[in-house]
Amino acid sequence: MSLEHLWQMSYDSKTIDILRNSKHAIPIIQSFHLFGITLLLSAMVILNFRMLGIGFGEIRLDVLAKPVWKWATAGMLLAMATGFFVFLPDPARYAANKSFLTKMSLLAVAILFQYTLYRRVLRSESSARAPHRRVIVPLLSLFLWFSVGWAGRAIAFLG
Amino acid sequence: MTIVEICHSIQQTGWATGFRQADLFFPLVEGTHILSLSLSVGLVLMLDVRLLGWGFQSETVSKVMRQVMRWALPGFAIVIVTGVLLFLAQAESVYTNSYFRVKMAMLVLLGVNAAIFQFKYYPEPFMWEKSGTVPAGAKAIAALSLVFWMVVIACGRLMAYEL
Repeated sequence: MSLEHLWQMSYDSKTIDILRNSKHAIPIIQSFHLFGITLLLSAMVILNFRMLGIGFGEIRLDVLAKPVWKWATAGMLLAMATGFFVFLPDPARYAANKSFLTKMSLLAVAILFQYTLYRRVLRSESSARAPHRRVIVPLLSLFLWFSVGWAGRAIAFLG
Repeated sequence: MTIVEICHSIQQTGWATGFRQADLFFPLVEGTHILSLSLSVGLVLMLDVRLLGWGFQSETVSKVMRQVMRWALPGFAIVIVTGVLLFLAQAESVYTNSYFRVKMAMLVLLGVNAAIFQFKYYPEPFMWEKSGTVPAGAKAIAALSLVFWMVVIACGRLMAYEL
C-alpha cells in the first residue's frame, strides 16, 4: 500500500470526517498543539539561556536539565500528536503549503540536532566548557526551534 | 458612551485601520504574542513544577521564583504589549467575542491567584522552605495556575476563529 493510499484512507475515515466538519474540533486540537509548543519552547529558553549564561544561573545545569528535558520531550510529543490530527483532515492543503513544508524540514533538523549533538554537549557541560559549545550550540537550538514556530505561524498567513 | 461604542470608535481610527490593512501586522504581532508564551507562561511553569514537587527539589522556592521572574517579567511585557495591539486593531469584534471575555476573566483569576500566593505564602517562604514541605494552599495555587493558563491559551486560539 502506498503512502498516498494511506492518506486517502485516513481522509475518508469517519473519525477524520468528524474532525473536518466540526466547528470546534480543530481549534481545540490546536489549543493542545499550542500547550505543547509552549512547553517545548519554554524548556528550550530555560536550558539555552542557562548555557549562554544569561539566566537561571543560580541553579546547577544538571538540576535544571533533568525536569526541563522531560517537559521538552513531553511538549514535543504533544505538539506532534495534535499536529497530526490538524494535518489529517486536510492533507492536500498542507502538502501544497510552502510554509508547512519548511516547518517540517526545520522540525526534522531541530529534533535531530537536539537529541544527538545537543544532548551530548549538555551532558558533558560540567567537564567541557569550550566557548563554541556554550555559545553556538544553545544559539542554534533556540534558532531552530523558534524557526519551527514562526514557520508554523506562516502556514496560515503566507501559504 | 458604552464600552462597545468606545471599542467601535477605536476600531474606526486611522491607525487601527492601518494595523488591520498592513500585510505584516497580524503575522508578526500574533506570532510574537504566541511565541512569547514560552518566555512568560512557560517560565512560570517552573515555579509551578517546584511548588507541586515535580522538580528542582534541591532548590528553594524563593530561588526558583527569583530566577523565573528575571525573564518572565520582560516576557509578560511582550505578551501584554502585543496583546493590546491585537485588541486595538479589532477592538469591537474582540470585545464582543465570548472567548475573549472568558480569557480576560481567567487572567483576572490568575492575578488574584498570584496575589494570594505573594501575600499569603511568599513573604515568609523560609518558614516552610526549611521544613522542605510546601503548604497545601501553595500547591493548590500552583495547580490552579496551570489549569487557568491552559484555559487562557485555548480561549486565545478559539477566539481567533471568530474574528
